[in-house]
Amino acid sequence: MKKLTATIMTGLMATSLLAGCGGTTTETTQNTDSQPSSEKTTEAAPAADQQADSGSADSYESCTLTFDWWGGDARHEATIAAIEAFEAKYPGITIEYNYGAWSDWETAKASEYLSGTNPDVQQVNADWIGKYDADCTTYLDLNTVSDVLDLTQYDASTLAFTQDSKGGQAAIPIALTGRTFYWNKATFEAAGLSTPTTLAELEAAGPIFKEKLGDNYYPLVLTEYDRAIMLAFYTQAQTGEPIIDQNGNFTLTQDQVKDALTWITSLEENHVIPTIEYYDGEGAESIDKSARWIGGEYAGCFTWDSSPSSLQNALPNPDDFEVGCELMDTGKAGSGCYVKVSQMFAISAKTEHPHEAALFLNYILNDEEGAKLMGTQRGIPESKAAYAVCEAEGAIDPVVAAAHKSVMDSNPMYWNPLFDDSSLKGDTAVYNTLFENLSYGVRDGSYSIDDAAQDLYDAYVAVAPAK
Amino acid sequence: MSKIQKTLRDNIGFFFVIPWLVGFLIFKAYPFISSFYYSFTDYDLFKGISKHTLENYINVFANKQERTALIITFKYAFMTVPLKLVSALFIAYILNFKIKGVNFFRTAYYIPSILGGSVAIAVLWRALFNDEGLIRMIFGIFGIEGPHFFTNSNWALFMICLLRVWQFGSAMVIFLAALKGVPTDLYEAAAIDGAGKWRQFFTITVPLITPVIFYNLITQLVQAFQEFNGPFIITKGGPRGSTTLMTLLIYNNAFGGTYKMGKACAQAWVLFVILVLFTMISFWSQKHWVYYSDEDGR
Repeated sequence: MKKLTATIMTGLMATSLLAGCGGTTTETTQNTDSQPSSEKTTEAAPAADQQADSGSADSYESCTLTFDWWGGDARHEATIAAIEAFEAKYPGITIEYNYGAWSDWETAKASEYLSGTNPDVQQVNADWIGKYDADCTTYLDLNTVSDVLDLTQYDASTLAFTQDSKGGQAAIPIALTGRTFYWNKATFEAAGLSTPTTLAELEAAGPIFKEKLGDNYYPLVLTEYDRAIMLAFYTQAQTGEPIIDQNGNFTLTQDQVKDALTWITSLEENHVIPTIEYYDGEGAESIDKSARWIGGEYAGCFTWDSSPSSLQNALPNPDDFEVGCELMDTGKAGSGCYVKVSQMFAISAKTEHPHEAALFLNYILNDEEGAKLMGTQRGIPESKAAYAVCEAEGAIDPVVAAAHKSVMDSNPMYWNPLFDDSSLKGDTAVYNTLFENLSYGVRDGSYSIDDAAQDLYDAYVAVAPAK
Repeated sequence: MSKIQKTLRDNIGFFFVIPWLVGFLIFKAYPFISSFYYSFTDYDLFKGISKHTLENYINVFANKQERTALIITFKYAFMTVPLKLVSALFIAYILNFKIKGVNFFRTAYYIPSILGGSVAIAVLWRALFNDEGLIRMIFGIFGIEGPHFFTNSNWALFMICLLRVWQFGSAMVIFLAALKGVPTDLYEAAAIDGAGKWRQFFTITVPLITPVIFYNLITQLVQAFQEFNGPFIITKGGPRGSTTLMTLLIYNNAFGGTYKMGKACAQAWVLFVILVLFTMISFWSQKHWVYYSDEDGR
């Protein structure tokens, strides 16, 4: 019996020791300094000026912050460089980071929100506030850390994009983005054309490409989601109203939806854009990785102003790459284009270190050194301080700047996040299935424009009631 | 020995079972029971449950998209399982002969199965058969325009099936072991009576390995109804939903952006019941075609 008791006691002791290993991240960081943890729990960082006044914005505690983002290689490299510089400037704060491509990123993040394991600092998408912070408990109201995070660097109208339903500042907008056209002028020249500056020129280029260059050459390529945005631009240019207004109402009639779908279909029929079957058949992950884009068979694309670099660099001769302008010139109300917040940064409401998280965010968004390292990998920065730094350093990619100017000069309209509702946008959501069905269906007679107009109208109205 | 010590000694086995039992309760029993409950609700991962309903089950058969996914799953299973079993048995039969370099061939045929579950092999399949891929390029050399394997609704499902059929190595190894167990004197006697190779195969080999055929049938059937990787990676369920199997639909509903967990649970339960039914039918049918060499031959 004594043995049994001794065994149980030993087990309990071992368990309590193990439990001690599961301390907070603060303790973990402190233990790396090989000093007694009891002394370090409240220990300030080494920099004398930073730890002298524990109540000031510059003071901080040693801790580990988690941070994640999605993007491409160039963005990863810039962000990691900024993290390393931050850690050097604020010794004692460690950033544990995680990054990846966008594909399936949201699925992984959704499960983190469910389990409450989302990181302290996070890059979030434009529609995530409505989806994952509906009750305003997921993201920290950044007004509570505005002594550290300089919100005055942002226009009030831009900050309004990223407020939660109770008016809290759920996230901070990194950049605004919109869609524009990019052209491969070498292919247009081969067809005896200059790059289009009007919608009529683009529409006329389709048959000429087919005749002079062959069946595989198209002036423009549009994926399913591109078509949804193009439809919005087209209708907004016609009506002068956002497709979903600020009250969350869908502003089009079913006939107007049908008219826009007829126009999209005519682009396919006139060889302006390839069919979905033809585009998907290549199996390219994205347009910049398409052999047909690289080889010049697709001579144009319609995408975000923040990401032209990968498209340009994919071409054998990057000088052939040209930033276009908005083309909805036939509309009664301008270009009909919109801008939205491209990405945001948020701090978890559950973070144990809101002050340090804000310090980190302020460094990568507004600090001279941090902003310089982050560059324009997330678009032209909305932070005035960051913009000034990037401009002075010549860090603003002229192609990105030209693309952004093209968008901002076209009198963009209001954009409602409901446009990207998960029932509409996503691999198996309405935009993908509907435009795929339409592209296949009008050719084999299994799905008509009327069917598509009805389905798209119903899908929009389910998300945003008709005006 | 005290009473406590005696009790401990007599029940020591339970302590050894506890880790498994805890794992079973947490990772099997709890999800199993909770998913059954959720299947009768409109459970949304982020919004919770607002009502209890039978709609999820009704929709599996009433909703066109879900009904189509169910039909496609049946098509997939009924194409894949027979093709895979026949291929595995045929190759195993050939590799059972004493031919030169047989060990190399056995390894070569087994390799796709080792790679089978991996994402990489699905990516490779996509690269081989897409419109700019090697296979269509080879067709082009002969002046033939190859089919659009993944964007033609008629071809896409077949290509997904073919990927799984190609990975017949595991079933083949099991068949090979069974073929080794068939007594050679039966073949000798049949040969003396003038039976050819095919006759020997159908009248000696096949009847004697029916228990293994049955085993492979059940395991392959279960795998086929649970197929996910191929369509998820290669076609994302397209074109026009022609490769959207039930598993993919379940995933899309649960995690594809809408988080309709209640709906996904109901679909998973329907799939589970279908699998149970097919397994029961298979077990019931074995008395008509499976030969066991025990006392009464069953």
